[in-house]
Amino acid sequence: MAELAGQAQDARKPETRRRPKARYAMPLKIALGWLALLALWEIAGRQQWVAGGALPSPSGILGQLIVDWHDYPEHIRATVRTSLIGFLLGNLVAVLVGFLMASWRPAGRLLSGVNVTLFAMPPIALTPILVIAFDGDAPRIALAALSTYYPTMVATVLGLTRVDARLLDLVRLYGGGRWATLRWIRLRHALPTLLAGLRVAAPNAVLGSLLAEFGSGAGAGLGHYLIGSLGRGDPARLWGIGLVATAISAGFYLSILLLARGWVGRQAPAQESLGGSSSGSMSRAGRLLCLAISVTLPVLLWWAAVWGLERVGVSPFVLRSPPELVVELFSTMRPESLTRIVGGALAQTVPWCLAGMLVGLAFALLLAIVGTLSPVLGRVLMPLSLLTQSMPLVALTPLIVLIFGRDGATILAITISVTFFPAYVTLAQGMALVPAATRDCVRVLGGSRWREIRLVSLPWSLPYLCAAARLVAPRAFLGVMIAEWLATGTGVGNLLNVARGSLDYGLVWAVVVAAVLVSVLLYLAVTLIEHWVLKRYAMASAS
Amino acid sequence: MTLSRRRFLQMTGSGVMAGALGWPALSMAQNGQGTPFAMQASWVNDAEFSGYFVAQRNGYYADEGLALDYRPGGPDVIPEGALLSNRAAVALTTVESTLKAVTQQGAPLVIIGTQYQKSPVGIVSLASNPIEKPEDLAGKVLAVPPVNRLAVEAMLAANGMSTDDVRIVPYAYDPTPLLKGEIDASLDFVTNVPYTIQLHGEEAVSFLLYDHGFPVFNDTLVVTRQTLESRRADLLAWLRASRRGWEENFQDPTRYPPLFADSFFAGNGRAIDNEIFFNQAQQPLIESPNGIFSMADTDIARCVEALGRIGIEASAEHFDTSLLAELEA
Repeated sequence: MAELAGQAQDARKPETRRRPKARYAMPLKIALGWLALLALWEIAGRQQWVAGGALPSPSGILGQLIVDWHDYPEHIRATVRTSLIGFLLGNLVAVLVGFLMASWRPAGRLLSGVNVTLFAMPPIALTPILVIAFDGDAPRIALAALSTYYPTMVATVLGLTRVDARLLDLVRLYGGGRWATLRWIRLRHALPTLLAGLRVAAPNAVLGSLLAEFGSGAGAGLGHYLIGSLGRGDPARLWGIGLVATAISAGFYLSILLLARGWVGRQAPAQESLGGSSSGSMSRAGRLLCLAISVTLPVLLWWAAVWGLERVGVSPFVLRSPPELVVELFSTMRPESLTRIVGGALAQTVPWCLAGMLVGLAFALLLAIVGTLSPVLGRVLMPLSLLTQSMPLVALTPLIVLIFGRDGATILAITISVTFFPAYVTLAQGMALVPAATRDCVRVLGGSRWREIRLVSLPWSLPYLCAAARLVAPRAFLGVMIAEWLATGTGVGNLLNVARGSLDYGLVWAVVVAAVLVSVLLYLAVTLIEHWVLKRYAMASAS
Repeated sequence: MTLSRRRFLQMTGSGVMAGALGWPALSMAQNGQGTPFAMQASWVNDAEFSGYFVAQRNGYYADEGLALDYRPGGPDVIPEGALLSNRAAVALTTVESTLKAVTQQGAPLVIIGTQYQKSPVGIVSLASNPIEKPEDLAGKVLAVPPVNRLAVEAMLAANGMSTDDVRIVPYAYDPTPLLKGEIDASLDFVTNVPYTIQLHGEEAVSFLLYDHGFPVFNDTLVVTRQTLESRRADLLAWLRASRRGWEENFQDPTRYPPLFADSFFAGNGRAIDNEIFFNQAQQPLIESPNGIFSMADTDIARCVEALGRIGIEASAEHFDTSLLAELEA
């Protein structure tokens, strides 16, 4: 995501060139802003302003990090190793699938069900199943790989398909076939885009690995260290672990950035959209068939996975195939039917999820407007935003419940923190791409900055707002689940935990499947609204 | 970190194999000679499992002809899952979740012994806002790990209260909200968290659920019915070595924790003093006149009755004391 923000900043460059003095003033202001923020944090931490001292000061965190340092290398190695393996595996699959989808158009349609599922499913819902199914490092690797897949797959398809048609014509004109266009044009063109996708995927891999470490009981890894440290009541230690995890994510991100710079130079990756290009060429019946297959495929994959796990000796007691789960859902053998339990929990969770989506989007929009009105402030707040994305929320729970309590406010706060960042990046990109001429039009006529935003930037960003809403929908569900699990003890998040604890595997599977299903449905609902809105305003979809 | 190509291939190679196949054998660290025997613990490495660490360090398992594969637990690890997935021969479990799975879902499990005669699960609060008995909980906020919710309901019911009288919120094993007064009490091992509270300059007050209407075992030793039949000799060997480890550990509960600082406890994020505190506090809860792990018929009956009150229809059949009897003989 963050490289999109980079592009957003690049897009502003011509403006700075117009006023040479501002070239140095801007970085200076940003640096001063960071220093001020850090100083404020330090004072707030020392004076115990926030939550009775549950927010440690930066110097306190650093001091604790130095004291604990001898513990870290082993945990860092374990986390880096599993996330790296997961990253490689996930990308391998993603690139292969991307190739398939780019070279054979129907593949994209057939796999869309699987892709949307992998994109939308909440990782915390998946961990218990992975821990049951796999052993040792495997759950961590699997979650890292799954978290890596989607961005890389999208980037591969994008890079291979969005090629300047004139270049393709040129190769064809000289007698080149499919292979030649692939060799000389498509692959070269795909590389920068693929590397941009890898950059997004890399921190995902670290987070995925970390999340699975909480549970898998392996002896080393930062997630494991975090769990062991929770009982100390020492926020400085927890923040230290979170910051080291953040540093690993940043390290992954930067290594790929440097690799990309060295390999393909500063060539900008393709930015055009992925969706809606292949329609029309297929008959109605063919489209329906594709739809049916794409919906069935995720279920078949689940079935195949269960079948395979039973073959390698995992007890059927913990596994549920699709038909088994359906039978159990409607079974009358239980004291309270599964549909009722899961339905009751969903009724608690989904309203918060919708509220969280709106609040998260509003927060992101606010931040994007602030960033447009004051680019300095926008960039000062950037590292803070990044931090909220990679700090494990379990480490922040005491702080959050001390500030927001254990009711709706906490649910919304956690949901905002989980949702706003990708939405913000998308919106900022949209606002930065407003044509200068349109903006100048308002300015020349004497309109204020705010008027410019209202009349030009906001309407212009509508497609980006829609794209942001699509990104936010499944994450909002994840956010509410996390809040319910860690703070409020209600809804689907809590039910998953209780089901796990009481060894009710039928319930575990029912909750996991329900969570994935609801996330996918939310995503599809937002996509439908997006189609309707954009059609009404005759706009094209962004990303 | 610099990686040689070879080292890199080694790392990825082994990970991919174990990962892709989910193959149990590859991930097991089999140290030494003897019959491979895997045990699944219920939590990350801390003093709760000192007896098994002592037995490993002093070679008691090897003496019995076992090559022990000790598997630490964690918040997401369901120890019974390791039994049902054939990854471990014996697991340490929470008795109510095991018997719930047995009675309500037909899990083929059986309890062959218990580490804790009295479960160390209790209600911990600060002396400045003390909660010394169940009645004091009325109108308070109590943090409970979802796994232990049933136990709390049982304790409340036994004291004429219900969950309407207390606000129950999730507990994630971080005492900060308790120390800051955001919650009034939390449910935790009384052998553990009071140490941290003292470290933060507060005094802890606690009572055991065991003493207030929920007299159950904890860290019960659980096996599948099949293992009980087919691996009797190995189970006996494991019980004998583990009991020896616990007995040696309690000769002086301050002796062993420091010795494990760089082995079993390395990098677990906890202080050695905390482990010593834990080890001392748990001694009276583990030791029994009939020998460590023993399950007296009267205690089984009380445990069964307590579970009955939370809707788990357990019976003495779910406890098999034949191995323990054989151990005495």
